[in-house]
Amino acid sequence: MKALILKDTYVIWRQMKYFLVMILIFSALPNGFNNAFAVVYASMLPYTALAYDERSKWDQMAAMMPYSTRDVVLGKYVFGWLCIGAAAVLSGLFQAVLSLVTDREVLPGTLVLSVLGALCILAITLSVMFRFGVEKGRLAMFLIIFLVCGTAGAIASITVSGDGGAFAFQGPILVVMSIAALVLTAVSVPLSIRFYTKRQG
Amino acid sequence: MNAIELSHINKFFGDFAIRDLNLTVPSGTICGLVGENGAGKSTTIRLLMGALRPDSGTASVLGADVFSPEFREMKEDIGVVLDEAYFPESLNAVQVGKIMAATYRRWDQELYDGYLKRFDLPASKQFKDFSRGMRMKLAIAVALSHQPKLLVLDEATAGLDPIVRDEVLDIFNEFTREEDHSILISSHILSDLEKLCDYIAFIHKGDLLFCEEKDRLLEEYGILTDSSEQVDCLRPEAIVAREASGYGGVRALIKRDLAPAGFQLEKASVEDIVLFLVKGAKNR
Repeated sequence: MKALILKDTYVIWRQMKYFLVMILIFSALPNGFNNAFAVVYASMLPYTALAYDERSKWDQMAAMMPYSTRDVVLGKYVFGWLCIGAAAVLSGLFQAVLSLVTDREVLPGTLVLSVLGALCILAITLSVMFRFGVEKGRLAMFLIIFLVCGTAGAIASITVSGDGGAFAFQGPILVVMSIAALVLTAVSVPLSIRFYTKRQG
Repeated sequence: MNAIELSHINKFFGDFAIRDLNLTVPSGTICGLVGENGAGKSTTIRLLMGALRPDSGTASVLGADVFSPEFREMKEDIGVVLDEAYFPESLNAVQVGKIMAATYRRWDQELYDGYLKRFDLPASKQFKDFSRGMRMKLAIAVALSHQPKLLVLDEATAGLDPIVRDEVLDIFNEFTREEDHSILISSHILSDLEKLCDYIAFIHKGDLLFCEEKDRLLEEYGILTDSSEQVDCLRPEAIVAREASGYGGVRALIKRDLAPAGFQLEKASVEDIVLFLVKGAKNR
């Protein structure tokens, strides 16, 4: 699986550089939505890697190599988790640095909710992609954009109310989102393995 | 031991089917898989690599059932070159090497670097900017650099210039000097197969028409170029297929053991045999 994650990293390396710049810009903007968007957007990177795989017919090559179906599918999830984690760490660090030189606050609630939202989006969209493929899954692209923007917006409004002293409201949301991320991932991974196996014939 | 054993494989796709495919490649030999476009060569390769599940029949490679969990381990011993090198386009040769080093336990980086040099492949050029010949050379370098025991090559020499093709064929020949090393190679370049192979398997519209030792095949058939009347004198079952050869003459593929003694038959090449067999199959 390490090889497959390495491949995905190389494949989207160029986009990653732009993505890195985007994280920094969005993290710097003084708005919860922007901060959340930077992290939630990371959940789209495995989708890009999958599109490259499909274009080069990498799956045909992978079927000849000592990778299991589980490795191929789970590799995309792990890659997504790593992207989301890296985006959250970078965004958090940048916000912390900014808080030292400006009077703005770090929003840890936004960051945590963003990670959980991104995990949910990854779980929903990846199984759709494994089922229909990236080409046919264009409609899913709209779903992703809707989910990314909607989640970022929702997180921003939740944490804004949280920052106003209503952390009690944020707490249950965090629990619900954590459970949702866990359940969706637990359902999504086996489903994706099944879809991928079926598509391979 | 047999390197490859396909037994009574059936796979139906709707408008195309592989029917009752039996193919055995003994260990230490090179088998050439011949057939027209769409005859089922690539499908056969996908079936024997476990990438496609047959409707019925069994497949084993290097002694392992291709649908058993152990076969994944066995793939360490199999180098595969498909009809296209399906590496993601944004990768370069160095990155491909690093990915393969993380894929194969016995990856030999020095050997890979040696092949990159030998094939004159640029280290940092993106794969999308490679010519077809360069792409195939990269795929061959990868297939050879993890110390495989079996090479499965699907049109691996297509797109290579004659000089590199000759060099690649020499590399394949070197590879089978180890007695447990085997190759299954499909190619449209029949002269390459004649030079390289111990066995020739001929697949036509999903049916394996034969899998025979090349030398036996060449002994079995001969070419008769003569007048139409002279060819008609032969028993019909001796004539595999015929074609007009100019000035009213006929060129025919003849089964030597069914031709009367004294008939002067030319030596048939693998290309002659295959082309006549396809014609014969189409006329039937």
